[in-house]
Amino acid sequence: MFGTGDERRILWRHMREPVLTACALLVMLGINVALGATLPFPHVWIVELLVASAMVVTILLFSMEVRHEPPLVKLFAGIGFFWVGILFAMTLVDYLSRP
Amino acid sequence: MSAGATDSQVGSQVGVKLVSHFATVEQQKRAAVLGMWAWLLTELLLFAGLFLTALILRLTHPEAVQAAARHLKFWIGATNTVVLIGSSLTMSGAIQLSRLGWQRGMVRFMLATAALGTLFLALKGYEYYADYQEHMMPFLSDRPYALKDSPPSRLFVNLYYVATSLHGLHLMTGITILLAMTWQASRPGFLKQHQNRIEIFGLYWHFIDLIWILAFPILYVLNR
Repeated sequence: MFGTGDERRILWRHMREPVLTACALLVMLGINVALGATLPFPHVWIVELLVASAMVVTILLFSMEVRHEPPLVKLFAGIGFFWVGILFAMTLVDYLSRP
Repeated sequence: MSAGATDSQVGSQVGVKLVSHFATVEQQKRAAVLGMWAWLLTELLLFAGLFLTALILRLTHPEAVQAAARHLKFWIGATNTVVLIGSSLTMSGAIQLSRLGWQRGMVRFMLATAALGTLFLALKGYEYYADYQEHMMPFLSDRPYALKDSPPSRLFVNLYYVATSLHGLHLMTGITILLAMTWQASRPGFLKQHQNRIEIFGLYWHFIDLIWILAFPILYVLNR
């Protein structure tokens, strides 16, 4: 499919970032799976949620290429998660503050 | 065009056909990206409501949720996450090759993406079958529920089926669109007129991956 050395070099130049992104996601998934399988300390869920958040940010910035988009698209992508943040924060403040 | 074009030859082989209601191709491409993002935000809020409900159930009924979560197939969920990360990589490959104008390679990456998406659904189907065998489907009236002494666990299990089947429906829709687009993209001249369709669809596919990246820890990992 990609016979010549030139073609392979071009392919690698364009595929380097997606491959590194996939590797980073797999490493973070490995951390979460290891934590979930072993439950090494009481509040491990905090670390698991942080790792999941890092995976989401990685997909947004690198797989979905938000960092290369114009400011309006960046605003749209950011504001969606901001709305979700409001939804989670206000609801959980209620439940977590109940006696 | 198959593999063989260099970066400098790409310009004439890859492009977007301007439609009448846009002033420029650049404006048309940006409007398409923004439109897809606007739709993805509505999807994000839909799934966010389900994930928030799962967290609230975990807070209000911790023992029942943990008892139900022990029946979830943790390792199948983890394997499926690897499968979707792989499918995101092949989708990124299709996008990169579409930018290069390497049509044959792009089509192969698109087929690989559809195959990985189908593998995810097959594993999910097996997981549902195993749940059925374990009597973990409380919504079936003619089949006794395994945790019948724990009514709150029904809430979590039902939510699990709603969230994962909704995600599966999105994935099935994605595979269908992807296969139709692969057929279109294999025809000569596709990349000269419609290259940005690959990019726009890629946003949807990566978003399906993103939703599962959240669903796996929230449903499977946190509740162990």
